[in-house]
Amino acid sequence: MLFHLDSQSGVPFYRQLMDQVKLLVATGVLGAGDELPSIRSLAVTLGVNPMTVSKAYAFLESERILERRPGRPLVVRAQTERQLEGCRQDHLRTSLDESAILASRLGISDDQALDIFRQALDARPAEPDTKESI
Amino acid sequence: MAVLEFRDVILAYQRGRPVLDGVSLQVEAGQVVGLLGRNGAGKTTLLRIAMGMLVPQSGRVTVFGEDPRADVVGVRRRIGYVSEVQELPPFMSVKDVLTLHRSLYPDWDDALAERLGSRFQLPIGARIGKLSKGQARQVALLCAISHRPELLILDEPAGGLDPATRREFLETSINYLAESGTTILFSSHHMTDVERMASRLVMVHNGQLWLDSDVDQVKEGYCLALIPEDDVASTDLLLGIPGCLSARLRDGVWRAIFERAPGKCETDLQRELGCPSVRCSRVGLEDMFIELVGGRS
Repeated sequence: MLFHLDSQSGVPFYRQLMDQVKLLVATGVLGAGDELPSIRSLAVTLGVNPMTVSKAYAFLESERILERRPGRPLVVRAQTERQLEGCRQDHLRTSLDESAILASRLGISDDQALDIFRQALDARPAEPDTKESI
Repeated sequence: MAVLEFRDVILAYQRGRPVLDGVSLQVEAGQVVGLLGRNGAGKTTLLRIAMGMLVPQSGRVTVFGEDPRADVVGVRRRIGYVSEVQELPPFMSVKDVLTLHRSLYPDWDDALAERLGSRFQLPIGARIGKLSKGQARQVALLCAISHRPELLILDEPAGGLDPATRREFLETSINYLAESGTTILFSSHHMTDVERMASRLVMVHNGQLWLDSDVDQVKEGYCLALIPEDDVASTDLLLGIPGCLSARLRDGVWRAIFERAPGKCETDLQRELGCPSVRCSRVGLEDMFIELVGGRS
């Protein structure tokens, strides 16, 4: 399982880890019952304090994305299609928040901004299979 | 009970010029505290006091609830220490150094020492003086953790190491941390190492502690504000705003660190200063450090 932490970003590591797990779940790369690496092994692989990993896991558990079973690795909880849809939309919205702020700083009207987003959608390269590319 | 406690500690090497000037710090079991600060800020002095190697002129220091000077051997057996400079005898072989440490520490764990030795691929028969800097550091780390200390003190452990060796050093420390839950106090100039390993960050400047915060909180609860020169009359005005930790003027722009989340800080400052072009953004550890050092009154 591939996680990557970016120390240049202003986002704390535990948040980055949460976002990446959510993306894997939202895109179906991780499905119900799939096991997550243990806190210790992921901490050593990523080179971070184990508390960072356990914090991310604890939040994901409270958001009902992961499930804890005594003495076993954490697993992905079964998600309804509606939850997955919500998860995917949240993800896109988060990445657009900054663009929305930037649009008003640049004095770009909402209609113009929507046009630009439409153009970006049209210009994106074709992706044969989303799951494979992640 | 706190593993380590400093209360109003003052230490001066020269009369009237304190290196530590009233430092109070409490480290709880299981915390990993990263000390940041410029060269000469007092980090090494602080760590050496904790080791009982230096005695402050005033203030109180306890390690595991005791004065580290009262029972030097007893306290030292529960601590692992890697100093900033190479302190192992250069004429001894790696094997002899390990045998010596094994005899000094009743809790020495042969299996752990062996595991680390083979991980580092140490040339066991070589003299310390013939080792590379990285290898010498690895021997020092092996000696510091093979007796399974409850407190690990690392003074600039990765100083002068190449990135790959540094990373391995970090991973070894994290591995030990994960299996033992030890308390760690370390100093470093490598912000990424601090960010990766520490749960808590303490900044030392001019012998005093400035910032003492959870590492995640630094990224989520602080920001860098950029304000056009004409909108603020003076540094003091900015420093007078609640939450402002530092302010300086560079190239026609005020740069100020605020202990506030970026989004709300931006709208608040725009309103308070009546200046719509204020910008606040999240700030990485390195930039924050540089701003604080450069812009503190």
